[in-house]
Amino acid sequence: MLSLRIAARFLRRNPVQSGLIAAGIAVGIGVQVFLGSLITSLQQNLVDETVGSSPQVTVVAAAEGDPVDLTPTMWDALSRDDRVTTAVPVRRFSAIYRRKAESVPLQVVGGDLGALDTIYDISKRVVAGRARLSGDAVIVGKDFAKANGLAPGDAATLVLPDGRVAGRTVTAVADFGAAAANETLAFVPAGFAGDVLDLGDGQYTAVEMQVSDVFQSTAVADALRADPAFAGTKVTEWQSQNRDLLTALQSQSSSSYTIQAFVLIAVALGIASTLAISAVQKTRQIGILKAMGMHDSRAGRIFLWQAALLGVTGAAVGVGVGLALIVLFSRFASTFTITPQWSFVAVSFAVGVLVALLSSLIPSRRTSRLDPIEVIQSG
Amino acid sequence: MAEHLLVADGLGKTYGDVVKTTALSDVTFSVERGEFASVIGQSGSGKSTLLNLIGLLDTPTTGQVLVDGRETAALGRRGRARLRNELLGFVFQFHHLLPEFSVVENVLMPGLIAGRDARRSRVRAEEVLALLGLEGLEDKNANELSGGQKQRVAIGRALLNEPALVLADEPTGNLDTANTARVYELFRKVNAELGTGFLIVTHDRSVAQQTDRILEISDGRLVQDVRNTYAAPAP
Repeated sequence: MLSLRIAARFLRRNPVQSGLIAAGIAVGIGVQVFLGSLITSLQQNLVDETVGSSPQVTVVAAAEGDPVDLTPTMWDALSRDDRVTTAVPVRRFSAIYRRKAESVPLQVVGGDLGALDTIYDISKRVVAGRARLSGDAVIVGKDFAKANGLAPGDAATLVLPDGRVAGRTVTAVADFGAAAANETLAFVPAGFAGDVLDLGDGQYTAVEMQVSDVFQSTAVADALRADPAFAGTKVTEWQSQNRDLLTALQSQSSSSYTIQAFVLIAVALGIASTLAISAVQKTRQIGILKAMGMHDSRAGRIFLWQAALLGVTGAAVGVGVGLALIVLFSRFASTFTITPQWSFVAVSFAVGVLVALLSSLIPSRRTSRLDPIEVIQSG
Repeated sequence: MAEHLLVADGLGKTYGDVVKTTALSDVTFSVERGEFASVIGQSGSGKSTLLNLIGLLDTPTTGQVLVDGRETAALGRRGRARLRNELLGFVFQFHHLLPEFSVVENVLMPGLIAGRDARRSRVRAEEVLALLGLEGLEDKNANELSGGQKQRVAIGRALLNEPALVLADEPTGNLDTANTARVYELFRKVNAELGTGFLIVTHDRSVAQQTDRILEISDGRLVQDVRNTYAAPAP
């Protein structure tokens, strides 16, 4: 470990130079950690906003308009798949809310509140009234309620698909998190929806699901399509219906990777040039050590160790800087929380050390090739 | 143990690929254990080239250097580095101390390079510093010393691994008369007490006359190799 000891001494001898290289690495890795975590959290947030409170995989009948007969084998298949976190049978229909001369279209979802909560999170999103889905209850979105002057306890008249008119009572107004849902979505009890659609027990318009990893939706959908229990049904999933969003996420990732790559290249060039200068400054010392019998590869390792020491110190400080930026940004500048991605932080640290080591290759090679007499003769 | 400590056998060194300059040609001599010898010559005569060759810092164009009976060309760079560390000590005109290290660390550096036990090397380094009259300066930075002290530290460093031969290239070239005298006294003392051989390269005839054997180099050739009985220290 003599090379390490000499490397540490060389670094201590020029504290400003050493500090500057370590600071350069720290800035690079700090940006890396912050930017990587920011982009990942931003994407998670976007995906969450888009599909977090809506079905990610949906099973409907193959023939449009037909109901899905939910059989016990189907339930078995769904409960066996660990990736499916919740499966909710629903009865959906369109209705028109009539108020005097005005007509407002509504997408009505019939189901049990407990089950619907696992996807739509209605109970937690109530802004007025109390979530209840029984009897003549209807839960509406806040924009719809505002536009039509509705409050909990008010009567609402719906025109059903077959032309019948049904009187309902608003039990709660909720904020569903998206303008479109807040304007047109309404929830009613499963029994009422069954009557409207003339469905028997076990018949639904769709089975809606959420999966543990939203990007697994395609795999889950494929598995269901291959399952004989789901013959005669059609399975859709969010990714195939949100191509634009996925493309946007991918582009965002690519641009983030590009920025990170260039930051690392800049850091590498900085370290390489400073270490090269340091190698020139220490030529005399290296020559003497070689004259005393230090062999070439050991002399070359001095600069490898210098790079490793600078890399570890710089990357550690950089991780600290990155995490501090994440905390500050989450607290003061962002509408969403940035979660540090620990595996990414570990990779960034390793990349920092690796970049430093790679940058030391040129000075290390030059050092190992240095001939001691060049130094001794020139004094 | 080989008969001769060091043998220079027909050594020649030519520099340049297109325009060839011969710095040394056909130099043959041998050095025995415990010898106190000097190489004298004008500036540019080839004496430093000779020192680099027998110090295994450079390789000859013709001829060979045998150290302890071993043909050094066959050893490769790594093998020669090891031999330098184990058998040879160097003292240069410039002290060439490492400014990053303290006095004692500079002295024990050859021991660390050899991979010797650090504690024992330190004890040995302190002994050597005491021998050279540098007690109390162990933990000072090498840069804080006077010119004469620095050169004595460099001598201590050359002696640490108990080399069979110390090669000194104009070791007092940068010192005043008092310090020069002191350095030669030390060389003599180490030679007498430890049996370390010395080969001192100098352009100064008065320095050479203090050694037991004088090898004279002129225009790259060994022109004289004489015993000098006048220089032997008083018994």
